[in-house]
Amino acid sequence: MSHAESTRVQTVIGDPVAEGAPLPRAKLEEIFADIQSDLRFDHELNGCLNCGICTATCPAAHYYDFSPREIVQLLWTENLEGIYDAMQEKIWACAQCYTCAARCPFGNSPGGLVMLMRETAIKHQMPSAKAVLRPFSRVMLKLISTGNQLAPDMITRDHFADWGPNVSKIDAPLKLLRQAIPMPTLNTTATAWEVNLKTSVELYTIWEETGVLKQLEGIDENLFDVINDIMDEKREDWKDFLADQQESEGGKDD
Amino acid sequence: MTERFTGHGAEWRDSNLSPSEAKIATSWVEQKIDKRSMLTNKERVEDVRDLMWQLEKDGEIVVHRVSDEHQPVMVKTLYGWDKKIPTRRLWHHKSCGQCGNIPGYPASLLWLMNRLEVEYLDETDQTSCTAWNYHGSGIGNLESLAAVFLRNFHQAYVSAQAQGLPPAYYYPLVHCGTSFGNYKEVRGYLLRSAKLRERVRQILGKLGRLVDGKLLIPEEVVHYSEWLHVIRERIAAMREIDCSHIRATVHPACHVYKMVPEDAIYDDTVLGGNRLAVTTSVMQALGTQVIDYSTWYDCCGFGFRHIISEREFTRSFAIDRKIRVAIDEAQADVMVGHDTGCITTLDKNQWIGKAAGKEVDLPVLADCQFAALVCGAHPYKIVQSHWHASSTETLMEKLGIDWEAKKAEFVGYLEEVKAGKQENLYDPRRMLTSGPGFIPISKRP
Repeated sequence: MSHAESTRVQTVIGDPVAEGAPLPRAKLEEIFADIQSDLRFDHELNGCLNCGICTATCPAAHYYDFSPREIVQLLWTENLEGIYDAMQEKIWACAQCYTCAARCPFGNSPGGLVMLMRETAIKHQMPSAKAVLRPFSRVMLKLISTGNQLAPDMITRDHFADWGPNVSKIDAPLKLLRQAIPMPTLNTTATAWEVNLKTSVELYTIWEETGVLKQLEGIDENLFDVINDIMDEKREDWKDFLADQQESEGGKDD
Repeated sequence: MTERFTGHGAEWRDSNLSPSEAKIATSWVEQKIDKRSMLTNKERVEDVRDLMWQLEKDGEIVVHRVSDEHQPVMVKTLYGWDKKIPTRRLWHHKSCGQCGNIPGYPASLLWLMNRLEVEYLDETDQTSCTAWNYHGSGIGNLESLAAVFLRNFHQAYVSAQAQGLPPAYYYPLVHCGTSFGNYKEVRGYLLRSAKLRERVRQILGKLGRLVDGKLLIPEEVVHYSEWLHVIRERIAAMREIDCSHIRATVHPACHVYKMVPEDAIYDDTVLGGNRLAVTTSVMQALGTQVIDYSTWYDCCGFGFRHIISEREFTRSFAIDRKIRVAIDEAQADVMVGHDTGCITTLDKNQWIGKAAGKEVDLPVLADCQFAALVCGAHPYKIVQSHWHASSTETLMEKLGIDWEAKKAEFVGYLEEVKAGKQENLYDPRRMLTSGPGFIPISKRP
């Protein structure tokens, strides 16, 4: 029997607080099926006694209306409306520290389950996911097009005003300070380290092959277009390099 | 006659157990209060390395071994399992957050390796693990994480060929705690799932990143803090500055010991084996006083997404649950950690406390930065303490380092850098192993 058919709570007692179904039943089942079909699902969810150790130790639970215990319970009892509701906001509160996973007596990983729900929220292009990820576009542009998530030129007073008045306690141009780092790979400003052209091109192939670019297109089409243009150029550069190599090798043979 | 009463009622009788019988009868109490039992009282825990060796035997994968040439040191993990930590011929798998934001972190590590004459390679052909982005945004998936892991580790395997050396010469040493946790988690899924292996085999094949048509899996995923742990006595022998008066607090990184906890190092000689050994062991070997505090187990507040777009949470957690507790309870002189996000969070989020009347001031450094500092590394040229927002100057004063003189030296040194005379920890020609600018060893003058 498929999990989608065996919604025990829904069938037996229903959802006592919901005013009405937020989405057609079939859509809710599709969302749950996507979460459940991830090969990690059974590894991350083994059962739950509602002991609450996960929530007691959860940093996000201190500050948000978020409880890893609730996430586990919703998935364990296949509460489809509750799952959908949690995907609107709650899942984005998780700090991904995995304290819950380390401590759960059942070996559940509420933090891991949250990741499956986040991936699914993106796949279904939920407005919540789009809103939450808007501030991430700078990071994603950097990571997907260069292979580095964070670069020195991203740490500015404008973006991190709450970090204090000085990015560096020595007042000198960023480029010079970076040149003064005694690791030659780090004498960069636009990436955390100098990334080989081949490396970026290989990483882009991984993004393409694993459907990550499709994810991105669904969430932010403009960003997807910009990244595509950058990567087309890099691929051309790499092809040119290989052609030059071949030519110079050929020249030597002559 | 002494009056005695128990309050247990008339039915109570002394059991008259011998001391050894009493110990057996109450051993469950010790088990309950053993902090390590919170992590080990699980029924279903498997050592994925057993699956790994079987897959290699079946001809499905190739294992990149920690060989004798890497001079490994054996340690015990949470469950008492053995883990091999290579100590030389290391391939630095850098951290984007460290290199972008706290460059003294990797520079201190390489400086220590130079002092210990440890051979290594720091090259450009590597990507971030992409797990910071994944855990923050949900963009990415298990396949992309697995493919990135295998690509980077394959490059570590073949990298020495650019220097005319055989494959497997260098062993990857992971700098970032999140990369470390993520790679271990992904390795577990790769070893368990034939479907995942088949999918990424196709991708790695396209990239030319298979070994004899097979996936390459590392025998161990090793974090730099583990290298530091096994080599701590040699580092302690290089110490030039007395730090026995320094009260140090350790912040252990969640992704180092809460993700795949069965692989984290525990040592009976460090905090009774009840807590993660790395970093604490180094601080003890260097002679500092490591002071406990009640929120040792808490995360730093980094949150992956929060540090970028919801820093109210990050700074509140960092100040209230970590920094203030370390100051008030432990009267700490420094907080030392072993991960990118934690050092960033704990270091950068103190200044804003003033806005909420929560003024705090605690120097924050990575373990290898502290070690380099007390072993005589330059506080600015090597430790690069100017990128730290917390008051590293206060710590330097307590260590007797004239930071103002050192800072002035560094400012003077910047003039030399401007003239192209910067000092490097290694020959810059080594950082390229392929692509534009690379000169094969056979063609070098």
